[in-house]
Amino acid sequence: MVKKLEQIKGRAWVFGNNVDTDQIIQGRYLTLLDYAEMAKHAFEIPRPEFASAVRKNDIIVAGRNFGGGSSREEAPQILAKTGVGCVVAESFARIFYRNGFNVGLPLMTVPEVASVVSDGMKLTVDLSEGTLRVDETGEVLKGDALPQMMLDLLRAGGAVPWFRQQK
Amino acid sequence: MGKTLAEKILGSHTKKGDATAGEIVDATVDFLMVHEVLGSRIIPVLEEMGVEKVWDPERILVVNDHWAPAKDSMSAEIHQRNRNFVAKHSIKHFCDVNCGICHQVLPEMGLVKPGDLVVGSDSHSTSYGAFNAFSTGLAATDSALIIATGKCWFRVPESLRINISGNLPDMVMSKDLILKIVTDLGPDGANYKSIEFHGPTIDSMSVESRMTVANMSVEAGAKSGLMTVNDAVRTWVATRAPGVKWKEVVPDDDAEYVEQIDIDLEKELIDPIVAVPHSPSNGKPVSEVEGVKLDQAFIGSCTNGRLEDLEIAAKILKGKQINRSLRMIITPASRETYLQALRLGYIETFIEAGAIVTNSTCGACVGGHLGVLGSGEVCISSTNRNFRGRMGHPESLVYLASPATVAASALKGVIADPRSVQ
Ligand code: SF4
Repeated sequence: MVKKLEQIKGRAWVFGNNVDTDQIIQGRYLTLLDYAEMAKHAFEIPRPEFASAVRKNDIIVAGRNFGGGSSREEAPQILAKTGVGCVVAESFARIFYRNGFNVGLPLMTVPEVASVVSDGMKLTVDLSEGTLRVDETGEVLKGDALPQMMLDLLRAGGAVPWFRQQK
Repeated sequence: MGKTLAEKILGSHTKKGDATAGEIVDATVDFLMVHEVLGSRIIPVLEEMGVEKVWDPERILVVNDHWAPAKDSMSAEIHQRNRNFVAKHSIKHFCDVNCGICHQVLPEMGLVKPGDLVVGSDSHSTSYGAFNAFSTGLAATDSALIIATGKCWFRVPESLRINISGNLPDMVMSKDLILKIVTDLGPDGANYKSIEFHGPTIDSMSVESRMTVANMSVEAGAKSGLMTVNDAVRTWVATRAPGVKWKEVVPDDDAEYVEQIDIDLEKELIDPIVAVPHSPSNGKPVSEVEGVKLDQAFIGSCTNGRLEDLEIAAKILKGKQINRSLRMIITPASRETYLQALRLGYIETFIEAGAIVTNSTCGACVGGHLGVLGSGEVCISSTNRNFRGRMGHPESLVYLASPATVAASALKGVIADPRSVQ
Protein backbone atom coordinates (compact mmCIF):
# COMPACT_ATOMS: atom_id res chain seq x y z
CA MET A 1 0.00 0.00 0.00
CA VAL A 2 1.41 3.37 -0.92
CA LYS A 3 0.48 6.00 1.61
CA LYS A 4 -0.08 9.49 0.31
CA LEU A 5 1.57 12.26 2.23
CA GLU A 6 -1.36 14.38 3.26
CA GLN A 7 -1.33 17.86 4.67
CA ILE A 8 -0.95 17.98 8.43
CA LYS A 9 -3.04 20.53 10.31
CA GLY A 10 -2.48 21.18 13.97
CA ARG A 11 -1.52 23.51 16.80
CA ALA A 12 2.06 24.54 17.41
CA TRP A 13 4.13 23.66 20.46
CA VAL A 14 7.19 25.85 20.22
CA PHE A 15 10.58 24.91 21.66
CA GLY A 16 13.99 26.58 21.55
CA ASN A 17 17.38 25.39 20.29
CA ASN A 18 19.13 22.16 21.30
CA VAL A 19 16.19 20.22 22.71
CA ASP A 20 18.07 17.00 23.48
CA THR A 21 16.63 13.51 23.74
CA ASP A 22 16.69 13.62 27.56
CA GLN A 23 14.25 16.53 27.34
CA ILE A 24 11.98 14.50 25.08
CA ILE A 25 12.16 11.37 27.21
CA GLN A 26 14.46 10.92 30.21
CA GLY A 27 16.83 7.95 30.39
CA ARG A 28 15.13 6.69 33.53
CA TYR A 29 11.98 5.75 31.63
CA LEU A 30 13.78 3.61 29.06
CA THR A 31 13.03 0.34 30.84
CA LEU A 32 9.29 0.91 30.27
CA LEU A 33 8.43 -1.36 27.39
CA ASP A 34 5.04 0.11 26.57
CA TYR A 35 5.43 3.22 24.41
CA ALA A 36 2.02 4.50 25.51
CA GLU A 37 3.17 4.39 29.16
CA MET A 38 6.41 6.07 28.26
CA ALA A 39 4.63 8.74 26.24
CA LYS A 40 3.06 10.02 29.47
CA HIS A 41 6.51 11.41 30.24
CA ALA A 42 7.09 13.15 26.91
CA PHE A 43 8.80 16.55 27.35
CA GLU A 44 8.44 16.11 31.11
CA ILE A 45 11.35 18.41 31.91
CA PRO A 46 10.75 21.38 29.55
CA ARG A 47 6.94 21.17 29.23
CA PRO A 48 5.41 19.06 32.01
CA GLU A 49 1.88 19.88 30.76
CA PHE A 50 2.62 18.51 27.28
CA ALA A 51 1.64 14.86 27.69
CA SER A 52 -1.83 15.61 29.00
CA ALA A 53 -2.58 18.59 26.76
CA VAL A 54 -1.25 17.42 23.39
CA ARG A 55 -3.86 16.72 20.72
CA LYS A 56 -3.75 14.60 17.60
CA ASN A 57 -1.76 16.18 14.78
CA ASP A 58 -0.27 18.90 16.96
CA ILE A 59 2.97 20.16 15.49
CA ILE A 60 6.26 20.51 17.33
CA VAL A 61 8.15 23.59 16.21
CA ALA A 62 11.74 23.98 17.34
CA GLY A 63 14.94 25.90 16.75
CA ARG A 64 18.28 24.39 15.85
CA ASN A 65 19.55 20.87 16.59
CA PHE A 66 16.33 19.22 17.73
CA GLY A 67 16.85 15.74 19.16
CA GLY A 68 20.58 15.83 19.95
CA GLY A 69 22.22 13.49 22.40
CA SER A 70 21.31 9.86 22.78
CA SER A 71 20.41 7.63 19.86
CA ARG A 72 17.22 6.55 21.62
CA GLU A 73 14.50 5.81 19.11
CA GLU A 74 12.05 6.11 21.98
CA ALA A 75 12.21 9.88 21.46
CA PRO A 76 10.48 10.01 18.05
CA GLN A 77 8.41 6.91 18.91
CA ILE A 78 6.73 8.51 21.87
CA LEU A 79 6.12 11.74 19.97
CA ALA A 80 4.36 9.68 17.32
CA LYS A 81 2.49 7.88 20.12
CA THR A 82 1.21 11.13 21.63
CA GLY A 83 -0.30 11.91 18.23
CA VAL A 84 2.18 14.57 17.14
CA GLY A 85 1.62 15.09 13.40
CA CYS A 86 5.09 16.25 12.57
CA VAL A 87 8.13 18.07 13.87
CA VAL A 88 9.31 21.19 12.09
CA ALA A 89 12.70 22.50 13.20
CA GLU A 90 15.42 24.78 11.95
CA SER A 91 17.73 21.76 12.04
CA PHE A 92 17.72 18.24 13.46
CA ALA A 93 20.40 16.19 15.15
CA ARG A 94 21.51 13.44 12.80
CA ILE A 95 20.35 10.30 14.59
CA PHE A 96 17.00 11.80 15.54
CA TYR A 97 16.40 12.75 11.91
CA ARG A 98 16.99 9.21 10.75
CA ASN A 99 14.94 7.71 13.58
CA GLY A 100 11.98 9.96 12.89
CA PHE A 101 11.51 8.63 9.37
CA ASN A 102 12.24 5.07 10.49
CA VAL A 103 9.30 5.20 12.89
CA GLY A 104 7.10 7.09 10.43
CA LEU A 105 7.17 10.47 12.20
CA PRO A 106 7.44 13.21 9.56
CA LEU A 107 10.18 15.78 10.07
CA MET A 108 10.75 18.93 8.09
CA THR A 109 13.54 21.47 8.18
CA VAL A 110 12.39 25.09 7.87
CA PRO A 111 14.80 27.98 8.44
CA GLU A 112 13.82 30.48 11.19
CA VAL A 113 10.56 28.69 11.92
CA ALA A 114 10.92 29.04 15.70
CA SER A 115 11.04 32.83 15.51
CA VAL A 116 8.00 33.10 13.24
CA VAL A 117 5.64 30.63 14.92
CA SER A 118 4.40 31.04 18.48
CA ASP A 119 2.78 28.57 20.83
CA GLY A 120 -0.79 27.58 19.99
CA MET A 121 -0.80 28.96 16.43
CA LYS A 122 -2.66 26.84 13.91
CA LEU A 123 -0.41 25.49 11.17
CA THR A 124 -0.71 23.54 7.94
CA VAL A 125 2.30 21.50 6.87
CA ASP A 126 2.59 20.10 3.37
CA LEU A 127 5.39 17.56 3.28
CA SER A 128 5.20 16.90 -0.43
CA GLU A 129 5.64 20.62 -1.17
CA GLY A 130 7.91 21.24 1.78
CA THR A 131 5.89 24.18 3.10
CA LEU A 132 4.47 25.37 6.40
CA ARG A 133 1.54 27.80 6.50
CA VAL A 134 0.62 29.88 9.52
CA ASP A 135 -3.17 29.79 9.25
CA GLU A 136 -3.87 33.05 11.14
CA THR A 137 -1.59 35.23 9.02
CA GLY A 138 -1.47 33.19 5.84
CA GLU A 139 2.31 33.42 5.89
CA VAL A 140 3.96 30.50 4.10
CA LEU A 141 7.46 29.32 5.04
CA LYS A 142 9.45 27.24 2.62
CA GLY A 143 11.30 24.24 3.98
CA ASP A 144 13.82 21.80 2.57
CA ALA A 145 12.46 19.19 0.19
CA LEU A 146 12.73 15.68 1.60
CA PRO A 147 15.27 13.27 0.05
CA GLN A 148 13.65 10.43 -1.91
CA MET A 149 14.69 7.85 0.69
CA MET A 150 12.76 9.73 3.39
CA LEU A 151 9.66 10.13 1.22
CA ASP A 152 9.72 6.39 0.52
CA LEU A 153 9.94 5.60 4.23
CA LEU A 154 7.09 7.96 5.13
CA ARG A 155 4.89 6.70 2.32
CA ALA A 156 5.41 3.15 3.53
CA GLY A 157 4.62 4.24 7.10
CA GLY A 158 8.13 3.73 8.47
CA ALA A 159 11.08 1.36 8.05
CA VAL A 160 9.31 -1.79 9.21
CA PRO A 161 6.53 -1.72 6.60
CA TRP A 162 9.11 -0.47 4.08
CA PHE A 163 11.26 -3.55 4.81
CA ARG A 164 8.25 -5.85 4.44
CA GLN A 165 7.53 -4.31 1.03
CA GLN A 166 11.12 -4.95 -0.09
CA LYS A 167 11.06 -8.61 0.91
CA MET B 1 39.26 14.98 -6.26
CA GLY B 2 40.82 13.06 -3.38
CA LYS B 3 38.84 11.22 -0.72
CA THR B 4 38.43 11.75 2.99
CA LEU B 5 38.64 8.93 5.55
CA ALA B 6 34.85 8.74 5.69
CA GLU B 7 34.52 8.56 1.90
CA LYS B 8 37.23 5.90 1.64
CA ILE B 9 35.94 3.61 4.37
CA LEU B 10 32.28 3.93 3.42
CA GLY B 11 33.17 3.59 -0.27
CA SER B 12 35.07 0.35 0.31
CA HIS B 13 31.91 -1.11 1.83
CA THR B 14 29.67 -0.42 -1.15
CA LYS B 15 29.14 -2.50 -4.26
CA LYS B 16 30.66 0.07 -6.57
CA GLY B 17 33.57 0.61 -4.17
CA ASP B 18 33.23 4.35 -4.11
CA ALA B 19 31.47 7.03 -2.09
CA THR B 20 31.32 10.80 -2.27
CA ALA B 21 30.09 13.22 0.37
CA GLY B 22 26.40 14.02 0.04
CA GLU B 23 25.51 10.78 -1.69
CA ILE B 24 23.28 8.13 -0.08
CA VAL B 25 24.90 4.69 -0.27
CA ASP B 26 23.93 1.17 0.64
CA ALA B 27 26.83 -0.28 2.62
CA THR B 28 27.73 -3.69 3.98
CA VAL B 29 28.49 -3.46 7.68
CA ASP B 30 31.44 -5.35 9.21
CA PHE B 31 30.18 -5.41 12.75
CA LEU B 32 27.18 -4.48 14.89
CA MET B 33 27.14 -3.79 18.62
CA VAL B 34 23.85 -3.82 20.53
CA HIS B 35 23.14 -3.47 24.25
CA GLU B 36 19.91 -3.40 26.25
CA VAL B 37 18.25 -1.75 23.25
CA LEU B 38 18.23 -5.25 21.73
CA GLY B 39 15.91 -6.64 24.37
CA SER B 40 13.80 -3.55 24.84
CA ARG B 41 13.38 -2.29 21.26
CA ILE B 42 15.17 -4.25 18.54
CA ILE B 43 13.65 -7.68 19.17
CA PRO B 44 10.08 -6.29 18.90
CA VAL B 45 11.04 -4.62 15.59
CA LEU B 46 12.55 -7.89 14.31
CA GLU B 47 9.33 -9.66 15.25
CA GLU B 48 7.27 -7.05 13.47
CA MET B 49 9.47 -7.39 10.42
CA GLY B 50 9.15 -11.15 10.50
CA VAL B 51 12.91 -11.72 10.68
CA GLU B 52 13.76 -15.27 11.76
CA LYS B 53 17.48 -15.40 11.08
CA VAL B 54 20.34 -13.04 11.85
CA TRP B 55 22.60 -12.15 8.94
CA ASP B 56 25.81 -13.32 10.63
CA PRO B 57 25.97 -14.51 14.25
CA GLU B 58 29.75 -13.90 14.28
CA ARG B 59 29.46 -10.23 13.47
CA ILE B 60 27.31 -9.12 16.37
CA LEU B 61 28.28 -8.25 19.93
CA VAL B 62 25.53 -8.19 22.55
CA VAL B 63 26.31 -6.38 25.81
CA ASN B 64 24.29 -6.08 29.01
CA ASP B 65 25.88 -2.94 30.41
CA HIS B 66 23.46 -0.11 31.09
CA TRP B 67 21.96 -1.46 34.27
CA ALA B 68 24.45 -4.15 35.19
CA PRO B 69 23.58 -6.09 37.25
CA ALA B 70 19.86 -5.45 36.82
CA LYS B 71 18.61 -2.55 38.90
CA ASP B 72 14.98 -3.68 38.88
CA SER B 73 12.78 -6.39 37.45
CA MET B 74 12.25 -4.50 34.18
CA SER B 75 15.96 -4.35 33.41
CA ALA B 76 16.29 -7.97 34.55
CA GLU B 77 13.73 -8.96 31.93
CA ILE B 78 15.53 -7.01 29.23
CA HIS B 79 18.76 -8.81 30.13
CA GLN B 80 16.91 -12.11 30.00
CA ARG B 81 15.62 -11.35 26.53
CA ASN B 82 19.17 -10.57 25.40
CA ARG B 83 20.44 -13.88 26.82
CA ASN B 84 17.66 -15.78 25.07
CA PHE B 85 18.40 -14.03 21.78
CA VAL B 86 22.11 -14.86 22.08
CA ALA B 87 21.31 -18.52 22.75
CA LYS B 88 18.63 -18.82 20.08
CA HIS B 89 20.76 -17.31 17.31
CA SER B 90 24.12 -18.67 18.53
CA ILE B 91 25.55 -15.15 18.73
CA LYS B 92 29.29 -15.58 19.10
CA HIS B 93 30.17 -12.48 21.07
CA PHE B 94 28.25 -11.82 24.25
CA CYS B 95 29.11 -9.79 27.32
CA ASP B 96 26.77 -10.32 30.20
CA VAL B 97 26.43 -8.06 33.25
CA ASN B 98 29.88 -8.98 34.56
CA CYS B 99 31.77 -7.64 31.57
CA GLY B 100 31.78 -3.88 31.28
CA ILE B 101 30.66 -0.97 29.12
CA CYS B 102 30.04 -1.77 25.44
CA HIS B 103 32.45 0.77 23.92
CA GLN B 104 35.27 -0.47 26.13
CA VAL B 105 34.68 -4.20 25.77
CA LEU B 106 34.26 -4.25 21.98
CA PRO B 107 37.86 -3.07 21.34
CA GLU B 108 39.15 -5.16 24.26
CA MET B 109 37.71 -8.25 22.59
CA GLY B 110 39.55 -7.37 19.38
CA LEU B 111 36.32 -6.84 17.47
CA VAL B 112 37.36 -3.66 15.66
CA LYS B 113 40.23 -3.14 13.25
CA PRO B 114 41.35 -0.31 10.99
CA GLY B 115 39.21 0.19 7.89
CA ASP B 116 36.12 -1.44 9.39
CA LEU B 117 32.57 -0.15 9.18
CA VAL B 118 31.01 -0.60 12.61
CA VAL B 119 27.54 0.35 13.80
CA GLY B 120 26.35 0.42 17.39
CA SER B 121 22.89 0.90 18.81
CA ASP B 122 24.34 3.70 20.91
CA SER B 123 25.34 7.24 20.07
CA HIS B 124 28.86 6.91 21.51
CA SER B 125 29.71 4.26 18.94
CA THR B 126 31.88 7.00 17.42
CA SER B 127 34.50 5.73 19.92
CA TYR B 128 35.93 3.17 17.46
CA GLY B 129 37.04 5.99 15.17
CA ALA B 130 40.13 5.90 17.41
CA PHE B 131 40.97 2.63 15.64
CA ASN B 132 40.69 4.06 12.12
CA ALA B 133 37.25 2.47 11.72
CA PHE B 134 34.20 4.33 10.46
CA SER B 135 31.80 3.80 13.32
CA THR B 136 28.58 5.47 14.18
CA GLY B 137 25.50 5.15 16.36
CA LEU B 138 22.09 4.23 15.03
CA ALA B 139 18.93 3.25 16.82
CA ALA B 140 16.64 0.24 17.09
CA THR B 141 15.06 0.10 13.66
CA ASP B 142 18.33 0.55 11.79
CA SER B 143 19.96 -2.05 14.04
CA ALA B 144 17.13 -4.44 13.26
CA LEU B 145 17.60 -3.87 9.54
CA ILE B 146 21.31 -4.66 9.94
CA ILE B 147 20.59 -7.80 11.97
CA ALA B 148 18.31 -8.89 9.13
CA THR B 149 20.47 -7.96 6.15
CA GLY B 150 23.98 -6.90 7.22
CA LYS B 151 23.36 -3.74 5.26
CA CYS B 152 22.48 -0.18 6.03
CA TRP B 153 22.03 3.04 4.10
CA PHE B 154 24.24 6.00 4.93
CA ARG B 155 24.40 9.54 3.73
CA VAL B 156 28.13 9.96 3.12
CA PRO B 157 29.11 12.80 5.44
CA GLU B 158 31.10 15.89 4.63
CA SER B 159 34.28 16.03 6.70
CA LEU B 160 35.77 18.55 9.06
CA ARG B 161 39.51 18.25 9.63
CA ILE B 162 41.12 19.18 12.94
CA ASN B 163 44.92 19.25 13.06
CA ILE B 164 46.37 19.22 16.56
CA SER B 165 50.02 19.76 17.45
CA GLY B 166 51.95 20.25 20.68
CA ASN B 167 51.95 18.41 23.99
CA LEU B 168 49.21 18.40 26.57
CA PRO B 169 50.58 20.00 29.73
CA ASP B 170 50.78 18.09 33.00
CA MET B 171 47.34 17.27 34.49
CA VAL B 172 45.63 18.28 31.25
CA MET B 173 44.09 15.29 29.51
CA SER B 174 42.59 14.44 26.15
CA LYS B 175 39.20 15.02 27.84
CA ASP B 176 40.11 18.68 28.28
CA LEU B 177 41.08 18.86 24.62
CA ILE B 178 37.80 17.38 23.38
CA LEU B 179 35.74 19.53 25.78
CA LYS B 180 37.49 22.54 24.28
CA ILE B 181 36.84 21.32 20.74
CA VAL B 182 33.16 20.57 21.42
CA THR B 183 32.80 23.99 23.04
CA ASP B 184 34.42 25.72 20.06
CA LEU B 185 32.24 23.82 17.58
CA GLY B 186 29.00 24.05 19.58
CA PRO B 187 26.48 21.25 20.13
CA ASP B 188 25.65 21.00 16.43
CA GLY B 189 28.89 22.35 14.96
CA ALA B 190 29.63 19.02 13.32
CA ASN B 191 26.04 17.85 12.77
CA TYR B 192 25.83 15.31 9.91
CA LYS B 193 29.61 15.60 9.47
CA SER B 194 32.56 13.37 10.09
CA ILE B 195 35.41 14.86 12.11
CA GLU B 196 38.94 13.78 11.19
CA PHE B 197 41.49 14.29 13.95
CA HIS B 198 45.08 14.57 12.73
CA GLY B 199 48.46 15.82 13.86
CA PRO B 200 51.35 14.89 16.15
CA THR B 201 49.26 15.22 19.34
CA ILE B 202 46.77 12.62 18.14
CA ASP B 203 49.55 10.42 16.70
CA SER B 204 51.34 10.25 20.04
CA MET B 205 48.23 9.58 22.15
CA SER B 206 47.45 6.33 23.93
CA VAL B 207 44.52 4.28 22.65
CA GLU B 208 42.62 5.32 25.77
CA SER B 209 43.12 9.05 25.22
CA ARG B 210 42.18 8.71 21.56
CA MET B 211 38.99 6.88 22.46
CA THR B 212 37.93 9.73 24.75
CA VAL B 213 38.27 12.17 21.86
CA ALA B 214 36.45 9.98 19.33
CA ASN B 215 33.77 9.14 21.89
CA MET B 216 32.83 12.77 22.53
CA SER B 217 32.85 13.83 18.86
CA VAL B 218 29.16 13.04 18.91
CA GLU B 219 28.64 15.85 21.43
CA ALA B 220 29.26 18.27 18.55
CA GLY B 221 26.73 16.29 16.52
CA ALA B 222 29.34 14.38 14.49
CA LYS B 223 28.48 11.17 12.70
CA SER B 224 31.99 9.86 13.31
CA GLY B 225 35.29 10.94 14.82
CA LEU B 226 38.04 9.41 12.73
CA MET B 227 41.78 9.05 13.17
CA THR B 228 44.58 7.36 11.26
CA VAL B 229 46.49 4.48 12.80
CA ASN B 230 49.35 5.09 15.27
CA ASP B 231 51.75 2.71 17.05
CA ALA B 232 49.47 2.35 20.07
CA VAL B 233 46.62 1.20 17.81
CA ARG B 234 48.93 -1.16 15.90
CA THR B 235 50.03 -2.81 19.12
CA TRP B 236 46.47 -2.96 20.43
CA VAL B 237 45.07 -4.66 17.35
CA ALA B 238 48.05 -7.03 17.05
CA THR B 239 47.54 -8.13 20.67
CA ARG B 240 43.75 -8.24 20.70
CA ALA B 241 43.09 -9.62 17.25
CA PRO B 242 46.23 -11.63 16.48
CA GLY B 243 46.46 -12.97 12.96
CA VAL B 244 43.60 -10.83 11.69
CA LYS B 245 44.51 -8.97 8.49
CA TRP B 246 43.79 -5.29 8.10
CA LYS B 247 44.93 -2.33 6.11
CA GLU B 248 45.31 1.19 7.36
CA VAL B 249 43.21 3.86 5.65
CA VAL B 250 44.60 7.36 5.12
CA PRO B 251 42.85 10.32 3.50
CA ASP B 252 44.15 11.61 0.16
CA ASP B 253 46.27 14.77 0.25
CA ASP B 254 43.74 16.56 -1.93
CA ALA B 255 40.67 15.35 -0.02
CA GLU B 256 37.99 17.99 0.32
CA TYR B 257 37.06 19.26 3.78
CA VAL B 258 34.25 21.65 4.60
CA GLU B 259 36.53 23.21 7.18
CA GLN B 260 40.03 22.82 8.57
CA ILE B 261 40.89 23.84 12.11
CA ASP B 262 44.43 24.01 13.49
CA ILE B 263 45.05 23.76 17.19
CA ASP B 264 48.60 24.38 18.43
CA LEU B 265 48.82 23.45 22.08
CA GLU B 266 52.17 25.22 22.44
CA LYS B 267 50.52 28.53 21.57
CA GLU B 268 47.06 27.84 22.95
CA LEU B 269 48.12 26.18 26.17
CA ILE B 270 44.91 24.63 27.30
CA ASP B 271 43.86 24.64 30.90
CA PRO B 272 41.77 21.89 32.39
CA ILE B 273 38.25 22.46 31.05
CA VAL B 274 34.96 22.01 32.88
CA ALA B 275 31.66 21.91 30.95
CA VAL B 276 29.01 23.61 33.06
CA PRO B 277 25.32 22.56 33.04
CA HIS B 278 23.46 21.69 30.84
CA SER B 279 25.61 21.06 27.78
CA PRO B 280 28.94 19.39 27.02
CA SER B 281 29.66 22.39 24.82
CA ASN B 282 29.56 24.79 27.79
CA GLY B 283 33.29 24.37 28.46
CA LYS B 284 35.12 26.89 30.63
CA PRO B 285 38.66 26.98 32.01
CA VAL B 286 38.58 25.38 35.47
CA SER B 287 39.61 28.72 37.04
CA GLU B 288 36.17 30.14 36.20
CA VAL B 289 34.29 27.49 38.17
CA GLU B 290 36.71 26.72 40.99
CA GLY B 291 34.96 26.65 44.35
CA VAL B 292 31.56 25.35 43.17
CA LYS B 293 30.28 23.16 46.02
CA LEU B 294 29.79 19.48 45.22
CA ASP B 295 27.69 16.60 46.52
CA GLN B 296 29.16 13.89 44.32
CA ALA B 297 32.26 13.17 42.26
CA PHE B 298 32.04 10.43 39.64
CA ILE B 299 34.75 8.74 37.58
CA GLY B 300 33.58 6.19 35.06
CA SER B 301 31.82 5.67 31.71
CA CYS B 302 32.93 4.91 28.16
CA THR B 303 34.53 8.36 28.05
CA ASN B 304 36.84 8.23 31.05
CA GLY B 305 36.69 5.00 33.03
CA ARG B 306 39.79 3.41 31.53
CA LEU B 307 43.09 2.45 33.15
CA GLU B 308 44.92 5.74 32.51
CA ASP B 309 41.91 7.58 33.97
CA LEU B 310 42.03 5.48 37.11
CA GLU B 311 45.81 5.85 37.21
CA ILE B 312 45.77 9.63 37.31
CA ALA B 313 42.96 9.61 39.88
CA ALA B 314 44.93 7.17 42.05
CA LYS B 315 47.99 9.39 41.78
CA ILE B 316 45.99 12.37 43.04
CA LEU B 317 44.14 10.48 45.79
CA LYS B 318 47.04 8.36 47.06
CA GLY B 319 47.41 8.67 50.82
CA LYS B 320 44.72 11.36 51.06
CA GLN B 321 41.09 11.51 52.12
CA ILE B 322 38.24 12.81 50.00
CA ASN B 323 36.34 15.74 51.46
CA ARG B 324 33.66 14.63 53.87
CA SER B 325 31.08 16.90 52.29
CA LEU B 326 30.76 14.68 49.22
CA ARG B 327 30.70 11.08 48.09
CA MET B 328 32.99 9.79 45.39
CA ILE B 329 32.00 6.95 43.08
CA ILE B 330 34.44 5.19 40.79
CA THR B 331 33.22 2.76 38.13
CA PRO B 332 35.94 1.07 36.04
CA ALA B 333 34.88 0.83 32.39
CA SER B 334 35.33 -2.92 32.16
CA ARG B 335 36.17 -6.00 34.16
CA GLU B 336 39.60 -6.00 32.54
CA THR B 337 40.19 -2.40 33.59
CA TYR B 338 38.98 -3.23 37.09
CA LEU B 339 41.38 -6.19 37.39
CA GLN B 340 44.34 -4.18 36.13
CA ALA B 341 43.53 -1.35 38.54
CA LEU B 342 43.20 -3.88 41.33
CA ARG B 343 46.60 -5.40 40.61
CA LEU B 344 48.22 -1.98 40.42
CA GLY B 345 46.79 -1.01 43.81
CA TYR B 346 44.53 1.78 42.52
CA ILE B 347 41.37 0.21 43.88
CA GLU B 348 42.89 0.04 47.34
CA THR B 349 43.95 3.68 47.06
CA PHE B 350 40.39 4.68 46.14
CA ILE B 351 38.76 2.78 48.96
CA GLU B 352 41.29 4.06 51.47
CA ALA B 353 40.63 7.60 50.30
CA GLY B 354 36.93 7.12 51.05
CA ALA B 355 35.62 6.48 47.52
CA ILE B 356 33.10 3.82 46.56
CA VAL B 357 34.25 1.48 43.79
CA THR B 358 31.43 -0.19 41.86
CA ASN B 359 31.39 -3.00 39.32
CA SER B 360 31.68 -2.04 35.65
CA THR B 361 28.40 -0.64 34.34
CA CYS B 362 27.03 2.49 32.73
CA GLY B 363 25.38 3.09 36.09
CA ALA B 364 25.57 6.69 37.24
CA CYS B 365 26.42 8.06 33.76
CA VAL B 366 22.87 7.56 32.52
CA GLY B 367 21.17 8.15 35.87
CA GLY B 368 20.41 4.44 36.00
CA HIS B 369 21.75 3.23 39.32
CA LEU B 370 24.80 3.35 41.63
CA GLY B 371 24.98 7.11 42.02
CA VAL B 372 21.72 8.74 40.91
CA LEU B 373 21.48 12.43 41.86
CA GLY B 374 18.74 13.96 43.97
CA SER B 375 17.03 17.32 43.59
CA GLY B 376 19.46 20.23 43.76
CA GLU B 377 22.52 18.00 44.00
CA VAL B 378 25.72 18.95 42.23
CA CYS B 379 28.06 16.42 40.65
CA ILE B 380 31.40 16.65 38.90
CA SER B 381 31.68 13.80 36.46
CA SER B 382 34.18 12.32 34.01
CA THR B 383 31.29 11.29 31.72
CA ASN B 384 30.19 12.82 28.43
CA ARG B 385 26.76 14.39 28.94
CA ASN B 386 25.41 16.88 31.43
CA PHE B 387 21.98 17.41 29.94
CA ARG B 388 19.28 18.38 32.40
CA GLY B 389 18.24 15.25 34.29
CA ARG B 390 20.90 13.05 32.68
CA MET B 391 22.29 11.71 35.96
CA GLY B 392 19.08 11.80 37.95
CA HIS B 393 16.75 14.52 39.18
CA PRO B 394 15.88 17.27 36.66
CA GLU B 395 16.96 19.81 39.25
CA SER B 396 20.42 18.28 39.70
CA LEU B 397 23.52 19.85 38.14
CA VAL B 398 26.33 18.01 36.36
CA TYR B 399 29.76 19.48 35.56
CA LEU B 400 31.86 17.48 33.10
CA ALA B 401 35.61 17.28 33.55
CA SER B 402 38.66 15.05 33.22
CA PRO B 403 39.28 12.33 35.81
CA ALA B 404 42.17 14.44 37.14
CA THR B 405 39.86 17.40 37.77
CA VAL B 406 37.22 15.11 39.30
CA ALA B 407 39.78 13.56 41.67
CA ALA B 408 41.19 16.93 42.71
CA SER B 409 37.67 18.24 43.29
CA ALA B 410 36.82 15.20 45.42
CA LEU B 411 39.69 16.09 47.74
CA LYS B 412 38.52 19.67 48.14
CA GLY B 413 34.76 19.17 48.15
CA VAL B 414 34.49 21.91 45.54
CA ILE B 415 35.52 22.13 41.89
CA ALA B 416 39.30 22.34 41.91
CA ASP B 417 42.21 22.62 39.50
CA PRO B 418 44.13 19.33 39.45
CA ARG B 419 47.37 21.35 39.25
CA SER B 420 46.59 22.79 42.68
CA VAL B 421 46.61 19.51 44.59
CA GLN B 422 49.94 18.06 43.52
S1 SF4 C 1 28.83 4.85 29.87
FE1 SF4 C 1 27.25 6.41 29.59
S2 SF4 C 1 27.63 7.29 27.59
FE2 SF4 C 1 28.79 5.38 27.70
S3 SF4 C 1 27.45 3.84 26.79
FE3 SF4 C 1 27.07 3.84 28.98
S4 SF4 C 1 25.35 5.27 29.29
FE4 SF4 C 1 26.19 5.63 27.26
